[in-house]
Amino acid sequence: MADLADTGSLQVRSVSKLFGTFRAVNDISLDIQKGEFLTLLGPSGSGKTTLLMMIAGFLDISEGDIALDGSSIAQTPAEKRNFGMVFQGYALFPHMSVRDNIGYALSVRKRPAEEIRSRVDEMLELVQLQDFADRKPGQLSGGQQQRVALARALCFAPPVLLLDEPLGALDKKLRVEVQEQLKDIHRRVGTTFIYVTHDQEEALSMSDRIVIMRDGAIEQVGTPQELYERPVNQFTASFLGKSNFIQQNGKTCALRPEKIDLRKGEGHSEARMSGTVRSVTYFGSMQRVIVDASDGTEIEVDIDVWRNSEPLDVGDAVDLLWKDEAAVELQTG
Amino acid sequence: MHDKQFKKEMLTEGAHAYKAGRMDRRTFLALCGASGVAMNAVLAGDAQAAADHVVMWNWGGQSEECHGSAIGEAFTAKTGKGLKFDTSGPLEGKIKEMVDSGNVTADVADADLFNAVSLGPTGHLESIDYSVVSKEKTLPGYALEYGVSVILYGYAFVYDTEAYGDNPPQNWADFFDVEKYPGMRSLYKWANGSLEAALMADGVAGDALYPLDMDRALAKIKSIKDNSLYWGSGSEAHSMVVNGEVSLGMVWQNRGRNIENDTDGRYKLVNNQAMAMPGAYIVPAGNPAGAAAMEFIATAQEVPAQLALLDCLGMTPSNPEAFGQIPEDQQDYAITSAKNIDKIVYNDPDWWGKNGGDAVNAFLEAIS
Amino acid sequence: MHTLSRHIHPGWLIIAPLLVLVVALYLGPILNILWLSVTDPEPGFGNYAKLGESDALIRIVWTTVRICIITTVFSVTLGYSIAYAMVHCHQRQKNYMLTLLLVSFWISILVRTFSWLMLLGRKGLVNGTLENIGLIAEPIAFMRNELGVLIGMVHYMIPYAVLPLLVSMQSLDTRVMDASRNLGASGTQTFWRIYLPLTLPGLVASTLLVFILSLGFYVTPAVLGGGKVLMVAEYISVQLLVTLKWGTAAMLAAIMLAGVLAMLWVMSRFMKLSTVFGGAAR
Repeated sequence: MADLADTGSLQVRSVSKLFGTFRAVNDISLDIQKGEFLTLLGPSGSGKTTLLMMIAGFLDISEGDIALDGSSIAQTPAEKRNFGMVFQGYALFPHMSVRDNIGYALSVRKRPAEEIRSRVDEMLELVQLQDFADRKPGQLSGGQQQRVALARALCFAPPVLLLDEPLGALDKKLRVEVQEQLKDIHRRVGTTFIYVTHDQEEALSMSDRIVIMRDGAIEQVGTPQELYERPVNQFTASFLGKSNFIQQNGKTCALRPEKIDLRKGEGHSEARMSGTVRSVTYFGSMQRVIVDASDGTEIEVDIDVWRNSEPLDVGDAVDLLWKDEAAVELQTG
Repeated sequence: MHDKQFKKEMLTEGAHAYKAGRMDRRTFLALCGASGVAMNAVLAGDAQAAADHVVMWNWGGQSEECHGSAIGEAFTAKTGKGLKFDTSGPLEGKIKEMVDSGNVTADVADADLFNAVSLGPTGHLESIDYSVVSKEKTLPGYALEYGVSVILYGYAFVYDTEAYGDNPPQNWADFFDVEKYPGMRSLYKWANGSLEAALMADGVAGDALYPLDMDRALAKIKSIKDNSLYWGSGSEAHSMVVNGEVSLGMVWQNRGRNIENDTDGRYKLVNNQAMAMPGAYIVPAGNPAGAAAMEFIATAQEVPAQLALLDCLGMTPSNPEAFGQIPEDQQDYAITSAKNIDKIVYNDPDWWGKNGGDAVNAFLEAIS
Repeated sequence: MHTLSRHIHPGWLIIAPLLVLVVALYLGPILNILWLSVTDPEPGFGNYAKLGESDALIRIVWTTVRICIITTVFSVTLGYSIAYAMVHCHQRQKNYMLTLLLVSFWISILVRTFSWLMLLGRKGLVNGTLENIGLIAEPIAFMRNELGVLIGMVHYMIPYAVLPLLVSMQSLDTRVMDASRNLGASGTQTFWRIYLPLTLPGLVASTLLVFILSLGFYVTPAVLGGGKVLMVAEYISVQLLVTLKWGTAAMLAAIMLAGVLAMLWVMSRFMKLSTVFGGAAR
């Protein structure tokens, strides 16, 4: 995949999409590095799929520009953009064999049969479907279909691969497995992946960078760790993982439940807050305690079970402790 | 049809039940009301409820009205029996089917005399009772064992006076002459009349047509095939002329007057060499009204009925007594009028009854 | 009885009377026709032998098949375009088109046939207009010939062609077409390699429906053909009603029936007919 070495960076410049007067995507700018695994994460209606469809060329851009390696592709039709895409539900060609599905992009480009054949074999190996080349998509499991879709989209060595909720149709256990495979394939092919999902775990485990979107706009961009550790607002903080919001020095701060230390009884010198236990829920690796704080707020605390052998009961008085850096000051509401 | 049959049976049953006291008057009235029949009409004939009227099987449209006024009224006055209609068209195949199925619902069929020749010997028709029906009140040769000609219609032609005004076509030879009279013509699709016209055009004398020389006739028909359209019904023949699709149109002579009127005289009827077709009344075997059918036919033979049919339908009388009484304004159109009777030729129902099926097929095969 | 009921679902017993009735009412007349074709006017295969003896019969059958094929090709092609337009236009326009399509089902075939005469006849609207503006000196012979029959039949058949195609196109997953474009296929490539193959069951259903219905056409050829275009249905009717050659009629009917069944059989060799008639694809 040497031909990919110099291509695959994508520039999104002040892009908007209007449906009538409704702004589905509002003034988004984004620089995507070549070879990057970038996830667009957001609830439904956040505009993430609309943005992806504009990048793919299925939707026109209302305002702004999109460029590949610096040159605008806004006027390039979808079939000329050479972007691979894995569709929600896969959109495989039901009347074609797995081999013909995967080789389709090369076949419509009128490449020699021998080239198509060897390239398809390569892709079949990549997604480990060598034994299924002659099956029809209808004869495959969901996970296998997903891999065919991936192989089909990668077969013509696109500089950019767009993935629209590709794991949405799989059950949870399979999803984790496929996440690993996807990540592995991304490493091996070096293609820029733009991945749309509403599943935060998926986003955290696979992405180089995550773009959190809400109401057509970007809330925050960063590596998974940056986003988790330093959310800039309440939306990001609560969308990625759980978060308590407390007032500290007159500012709103986000405080992750696992970063709070809980002590039974009152009067600890470093206690930042005290309260009574309202409920305790056991999750195996940890237990979640909800505390009615004395200032009237409700605080969630995740504690390791093995480290707190002392049993907690509803109504117990507790003190809450945390380190200064655990509370992240938010920039906006 | 089945519906009517069902109602009739139901009411006849009802009439019996009511008379025998098995059904109260109120129920019977309701039954009659539901069927849209006056109670008297059902009760009048008691067990003969079904036979207190004669069912005429014709082609509907104007015929229904005209047969009613021209024959039905006189028939009712004479016998006290009513007249009803089945307007589904008594084609030979339908008559055969009706009789074969054993469910005969018609008494008198307005058909062709050659139907009497083909359907009579196979047991599908009642023979005509010539003690009631008169052999004298029709043309000689047109009173057959299983049918009698009551009216005549004919195959004549109309021409476009604007196209041929100076030198109008006179006869079938002109009709078939596409050199002298260019333009489209129309012929009857089911062979009848068309074959005879072709032979006359080819030089066969009008009284020496039968047995028809099929090969010669078809060769003549084919010779103008590119200039011909073929019609299957009177209305189609009419519209082909009125819509200007043809310059020369073979038509049923009784339509001639209407065509002249509808085209404001642009098309004119020629009755020279018109082929007189004996329209006949025939009686399906086992007809419900029995002998009353014969009285109905006899009524239709009477001069007033004959003249009324001419007036109403344009059908020409076949009763020689009526020939002299054809009114002045019908002289040009009625083929047995004093003006036309010497110019016409006569169809042979016997030949058609025996050879019609093959002739129709040969004709269809030649024109398609 | 016990072993029997183990093999036969009790539900069959409940519908058995109706099933027997339906089978009898369907098969009875068909068997009667077949019987008639070998017994009237005399027992034997004389009626079928006529096919070999008579050029005319062969010609009528050939005319029928030829006209039906041409009608089917045009109806299905035009129907395909109409169905495609309906599926891809706005809902509002689609409703209009669907209404027009359904309305045409309610108009009697006679009315539709005679309308063509008024429109395209020698003195019809089109010829009149063309003559008036001096484009033609002689009227164009649209009607009362084979062309007229084809125009009338195609017009009548298009709605029948559209409906199965519409169903087939509406059930397509449009993302599959997006996927094709995304993989670099042009519109033409996407149509021939994806859209057409995926609508093939609808296309076959539409073709079968139109062809089989066309075989039975009677009024349109009789009127618009000017008497010169003789198709089997009209010929059968003449044999039944006028010439009383019921054996010939039954023979032709049997031939048509066999032809249709043979066609279905050939089709079934290439694809599952159940998918054509809306069954599951697998």
